[in-house]
Amino acid sequence: MIGQPGPHAGKSLLYVPGDSFIHRLNPLTKLVGLLWLAATTFMLPPEGMAAIFVAALAFGVIAGAGRAFVRRLLFTLLPFAIALFVIHGLLIERADTIDYGLFSLSADGLGYMGRILVRVAALLTVSMLFVTTTHPAILLKALDSHGVPPGIAYLISSPLLLLEPFSTRARAIRDAQQARGLDLNGSWRARAKAFPALLIPLVTLALSDLDHRASVLDGRAFRARPFRVVLDAPEDRPYERWLRRTLLVALPLQIGLAAWL
Amino acid sequence: MALIDIDNLVFSYGPKAPRVLDGVSLSIERGERIAIMGGNGSGKTTLAQWIAGWLPRPGMEATTGHVHAKDRPWQDWTALERAQTVQFVGQIPMQQFSGFAFTVFDEMVFGPGNLGLEPDEIRRRAETVIDLCNMRHLLDRDPFTLSGGEQQRLSIASALIMQPEALVLDEPTGNFDPESRDALLGQISLLPRDLTIILCDMALKPALAIAERFVLLDEGRIIADGAPDEILDHPLTAEIFGLPAVMEAAGLIRDAGHWPTSAKLPMTPSAVVEHFVRRAHDAQG
Amino acid sequence: MLKVEGVGFHYVAGTEVLRDLSFSASAGDIVALVGRNGAGKSTLLRLLNGLLKPTRGTVTIDGNVTAETPVHLISRSIGTVFQSPEQQIFNATVRDEVMFGPRNLPITAEERETRVREALERTRLTDQSAVHPLDLDQAKRRFVALASVLATRPPALLLDEPQRGLDARGRLLLERIVLEEQAKGCCVVIVCHDMEFVARLATRVIALSDGEISADRPPAEFFLDAKLTAGASVEAPDILRVSQQLGLPPCLTPAAFAEAWVARSSEPANRT
Repeated sequence: MIGQPGPHAGKSLLYVPGDSFIHRLNPLTKLVGLLWLAATTFMLPPEGMAAIFVAALAFGVIAGAGRAFVRRLLFTLLPFAIALFVIHGLLIERADTIDYGLFSLSADGLGYMGRILVRVAALLTVSMLFVTTTHPAILLKALDSHGVPPGIAYLISSPLLLLEPFSTRARAIRDAQQARGLDLNGSWRARAKAFPALLIPLVTLALSDLDHRASVLDGRAFRARPFRVVLDAPEDRPYERWLRRTLLVALPLQIGLAAWL
Repeated sequence: MALIDIDNLVFSYGPKAPRVLDGVSLSIERGERIAIMGGNGSGKTTLAQWIAGWLPRPGMEATTGHVHAKDRPWQDWTALERAQTVQFVGQIPMQQFSGFAFTVFDEMVFGPGNLGLEPDEIRRRAETVIDLCNMRHLLDRDPFTLSGGEQQRLSIASALIMQPEALVLDEPTGNFDPESRDALLGQISLLPRDLTIILCDMALKPALAIAERFVLLDEGRIIADGAPDEILDHPLTAEIFGLPAVMEAAGLIRDAGHWPTSAKLPMTPSAVVEHFVRRAHDAQG
Repeated sequence: MLKVEGVGFHYVAGTEVLRDLSFSASAGDIVALVGRNGAGKSTLLRLLNGLLKPTRGTVTIDGNVTAETPVHLISRSIGTVFQSPEQQIFNATVRDEVMFGPRNLPITAEERETRVREALERTRLTDQSAVHPLDLDQAKRRFVALASVLATRPPALLLDEPQRGLDARGRLLLERIVLEEQAKGCCVVIVCHDMEFVARLATRVIALSDGEISADRPPAEFFLDAKLTAGASVEAPDILRVSQQLGLPPCLTPAAFAEAWVARSSEPANRT
């Protein structure tokens, strides 16, 4: 199988190829925008957060990543919503808790739950919008072409880039151990016992990979100079530069204003 | 001044670990095509890494002896200088990619970008290696979706674009099916003559296709160093690498007492076949 | 022992990787699975050890239908040796690693010890039983993986490119172990690119091309038919071509060739 794209190739990289307006934005603009929106959601009333959520979702659909969005949101938000409902709606006693016999509900609690949920949903969709429309390699190019030191650019993009080989390998390890008799579908105890057989090869391989990668990158003179020369850097339009500067100035001002008020 | 000069190198991966290299001395001149042949656990990959300057690393120094490149120990070289002198290509192509590239082209120009070359110069270099490694139709592909043979060609292209004086190949075709192996060997044999090539392998076929000097490594020691036929004649060769089937058959026939006592066993498969054909002809005539 | 009936397979929302495969193999068979990359060999391998379930048809191993049996139980009937031993090694010594399989089996501690000792001896790892498996060279690690499967004594063995990366000594040892398993009545399936290795060992060659079985023959018949070898994009061993060139009966191995040659030269010179 070595060198062959597996049947699951590309599944764990969240990037959805496309040519939408958002795809074409400079990755740095998107990164700064993400930062600004994340900070802003903490200052907005729930309605504002909901607006951001809806807008980000709409942009996601326009960018062609609608399905990925819905799947990811359901997977993440549904269990979270249920947990919140149980804790804040049912379990915590509040002044307005009404007893319905079998269970008791608090309208305050539900309101609180709704506010948390919409904030998380807004943060999640905005982040999704960033990762589904920005290939980590393009982000790296953008960082490099702006003179960001290669070491830092590497730190930012490598988790995204290495996610895919990592999960491919995790699957291979799971298969290998199951095929030699490891029970992964049995009782909780059996599964807990199986854990080292899955984790140890993954960690050992990751460590030896890290060692190997250091040599490979060194051999190709990575970080031998304080900057990298990049060909075909992503386009950076003047208005994007202005937008980034504005957002970066607005960010501390907003936070200061919120703290002062 | 030799390009690489190894003097009585003794090395192990830790104070308690067994010796992997046990007194290796070897001198490699510019433009040589040399095959370092060894079986499993002979130490050839470790030796390849010393030749490429991947070793020594902090905590992994030579017990005794040294490796000099152009009369200077590797420790004294900067990564920048080293990358432009020797390049290493290993067994598993995917492990050699930078991981930072979206396309084949970007993977190739990753190294030159680190050297800080002018964009025009990078493009010029890319043009050269694209043709040399037959990559033009693949430039826009994602490196991870290429076939094994294509990936290894990309690894070699990414190494050559650094314009090194020497290329170290560690079992470059070890993971391939015969078809991809032969194609890649053909591509390697077309590389410019002034490039020094050090091939570490345990299969005879790649070595016979590329090298004109053979070094036989066993248990961390060099036990023979010379022309290919000297090594093929060495008693350990058959045991470690296995002979091509027709040569093995010739040996069995000799052991059965059906080989003319005066004649030596021929050293290449084709010579053996010739011999068989001649004798079959004689028997019929 | 091993029965594949009308099996088709496709990944989720994908085109069919395998179409309507049927074959069976019994005790003492050494089946070589050959074919170019992408012909479906890896998929078939994972259908045989139950990691994948067929989307059509059934795979039956030692009486168990894979679709209805949990993977970890199928492993008692068919032991798989994968290409990368690093993906399964997690114990601190070779001995513990080989003990992993037997530990999951309902057998006595004494029996476990016996099996592990025997597996280590057969793979020549007895002297290294206290070493960390990852301190061994690549070839020895492969034998650790093989030993850990042998120690479970499965009635069928599935080997994925077992000869790859082994030198002549390692290949010889591997060949011996495969033949021993055959003699014990084990059914061995080998996925293999190395046709000389196939020619030396296999009792049957099954060639896959484009997701279908394009040939299922004894090796001599398979290699003699240029259309079949071309279909699977493999080359017949050199020695077969040479034996034909010399007018000898078709020989697949050096030993067979030497025998045929000696037999002919011992004949009185009555040939025309």
